[in-house]
Amino acid sequence: MSKALTMNATDLSAAAPRLPTDWKGDAIKKRIAARYGSERRFRAIGLFAVMLSAGFLAFLLITMMANGLRGFTQTEIRLAVDFPKSALMLDPAALKGFNADQALAGADFEGATATAAEVAFGPDGVHLLSDAAWLKVRDAVKADPGLLARRAEIWVPAAVDIDVAAKETGEPAAEATLAKLKAQGLIKTGFNLGFVTGADSTDPTIVGIWGAFKGSLMTMLVTLVLAFPVGVLAALYLEEYAPRNRWTDLIEVSINNLAAVPSIIFGLLGLAVFLNFMHMPRSAPIVGGLTLALMTMPVIVIAGRNAIKSVPPSIRDAALGIGASRLQVVFHHVLPLALPGILTGTIIGMARALGETAPLLMIGMRAFISSPPSGFTDPATVLPVQVFLWSDEVSRGFVEKTSAAIIVLLLFLLAMNGLAIYLRNHFERRW
Amino acid sequence: MYKSIALIGVAAIALSACNQNGGSQSAARDAIRIVGSSTVYPMTTAVAEQFTRKNPAFKPPIVESTGTGGGMKLFCAGVGADHPDIEDASRRIKKSELEDCAKNGVKEIVEIQIGIDGIILAESNSGTAMKLSPADVYKALAAKPYSKPQTAETWKDVNPALPAIAIKVYGPPPTSGTRDAFGDLIMEKGCNADAATKALKATDEDQYKAICTGLREDGKFVEAGENDNLIVQKLIANPDALGIFGYSFLEENGGKIHGVPLDGITPTYDTIASYDYPGARPLFIYVKSAHLKVVRGLKEFVAEYATAWNKGGYLSRRGLIAAPDDVRAKSLNIATKLTPMDPGSVK
Repeated sequence: MSKALTMNATDLSAAAPRLPTDWKGDAIKKRIAARYGSERRFRAIGLFAVMLSAGFLAFLLITMMANGLRGFTQTEIRLAVDFPKSALMLDPAALKGFNADQALAGADFEGATATAAEVAFGPDGVHLLSDAAWLKVRDAVKADPGLLARRAEIWVPAAVDIDVAAKETGEPAAEATLAKLKAQGLIKTGFNLGFVTGADSTDPTIVGIWGAFKGSLMTMLVTLVLAFPVGVLAALYLEEYAPRNRWTDLIEVSINNLAAVPSIIFGLLGLAVFLNFMHMPRSAPIVGGLTLALMTMPVIVIAGRNAIKSVPPSIRDAALGIGASRLQVVFHHVLPLALPGILTGTIIGMARALGETAPLLMIGMRAFISSPPSGFTDPATVLPVQVFLWSDEVSRGFVEKTSAAIIVLLLFLLAMNGLAIYLRNHFERRW
Repeated sequence: MYKSIALIGVAAIALSACNQNGGSQSAARDAIRIVGSSTVYPMTTAVAEQFTRKNPAFKPPIVESTGTGGGMKLFCAGVGADHPDIEDASRRIKKSELEDCAKNGVKEIVEIQIGIDGIILAESNSGTAMKLSPADVYKALAAKPYSKPQTAETWKDVNPALPAIAIKVYGPPPTSGTRDAFGDLIMEKGCNADAATKALKATDEDQYKAICTGLREDGKFVEAGENDNLIVQKLIANPDALGIFGYSFLEENGGKIHGVPLDGITPTYDTIASYDYPGARPLFIYVKSAHLKVVRGLKEFVAEYATAWNKGGYLSRRGLIAAPDDVRAKSLNIATKLTPMDPGSVK
């Protein structure tokens, strides 16, 4: 071997005597510098790419946080309501019976609140308060009918322009009013509990995200319950049982294509099949879930097949060798080992479904719904659609609410991805 | 492992069961369903909210913003729980839509005018304070002004009295009712200034429509999507540009933008209410008569609407302009008696 090599070398040196590499020479120094240079450049470009994407992410998060965190707070004004003197005709006893809501609905709280505001803040006092301020007064009376007998001080939401002035720079007139109220100690800004417990409204001071959040939860639940078992079973069958022939190839190609179909097509399909043909209720989470399940299932099948494929054949052979049936091999060995991969794929598919708006617009989940859904067939909306609806609202107060809704959506996604990582680590087994 | 799979199976079966419930539940609907124009949407949602507060016994109405045309399709698809009860419209119902309705069994419809909306041109407060006429707007924005090729680069090219500022107008996309109204109210008015083009209406109406309402597509007119807030932001960033949107946005952003006068008339509440301003249009709601007795709360909802559209009512804070007194009286009469409209009155 070495003889052959030296032979070869002598053949070459016959033409030009081979010199030992000159590591100090200019040419080689240049070449080495070029090699190191290109490596440094590549590292710099890679680092730049990472920094760029991190920068975009940071920009998104910082602007969202800067705008959106204000959406979780609310400016309130202390309003003194003199109930005995007000025009409110309400018997405290009536508020304890079954017809409490009816009695409250009949009473003119709107007028009483307006009068109280005029007494407290002058003739234009009503414009300092949110249009929905009287609802707070009504809730306070409902909670404690004893208030009706005395003068009470109730914190009510401030009007949008006062709210904007308290949080950032508003109109000069609103700023002046705010300063005056502040001097009197009649104003405070605190956490807006209504935002996390309420539903959609036309008034940004009483709007809430819970309705859309619950709608998203229900839709995701329907999607998961349908797409996960169907997707996993399909993946298992295709990998473990299906014969390799033209038909299974066709199915495989179809599933891959289905995963790449734009989501709006699934919306049209949902509209045609679930609403027009099966006559299911419009705007309901069940229809949204079914539509998104159609979209998510191919993703789960593909992820599931890859995870099942990566289980080593030696494990199957060993199990079969000691007498396990095919079914036992699949459920005792293959599926548990493939589960981390399947779950990761499922969560990625679900996260995509959570952020989806286009198919849901087609099936009517973009309606104005002022109460959270109480069942799968109740009309509902979902978080991304709520963001879309609020971004189109006229009132300035909705700008921060839109960002706040985006924060809620991002937290939901973060929780789902966190769950995926936890499940993967929990079920992961090494061999 | 078996256990969890069994659990998923049970859940799936339970789900398919509640699925069937859903089918039968939709047959008896207890909430009012409203579809239609995105311009009327903020008014209807405000009324819906007030209606729910005043009548806690009824379920909150469901309002969907589909655009007038899309809403009409749903509204006219039939009678029954699967179909909406009320249609919001930013224009009057068309004859073809009425025929479609009748074909699907929607025979009697109550038509109520709720108020007036203004299509306005606006610019940033730091802009050049333009004064335009519908003819200027038409000549600057039409694809083929008076059948001639569009060559105007600046407003001065359109009318020598105007400043030499490059034409840049942000407006809604063709799917929007606001765009239709802009074409019908302002562009057509400018278009009719030319006698030859006006005469075309009698001979070739399609050609007339194309010449009068077709907007140029060379980047001078920018489609800014359905999001009118975005147009307001663009105007503030670019003082030389103009924007087209509904009056409510002008009112909400009064500190940053102002309306451009057309024919010397500034768009304000009063000039739009009196139809002096060229860009004023009526807004309607359409109610299915067949649903009035069946859907709980529908009559009360219409009654609530009738209290809201007056001058100084809460809808005026959302940008609705109250109709003249006689029109309001007529609408109130229809809303209380719920008289169906006469299909013959629609052209």
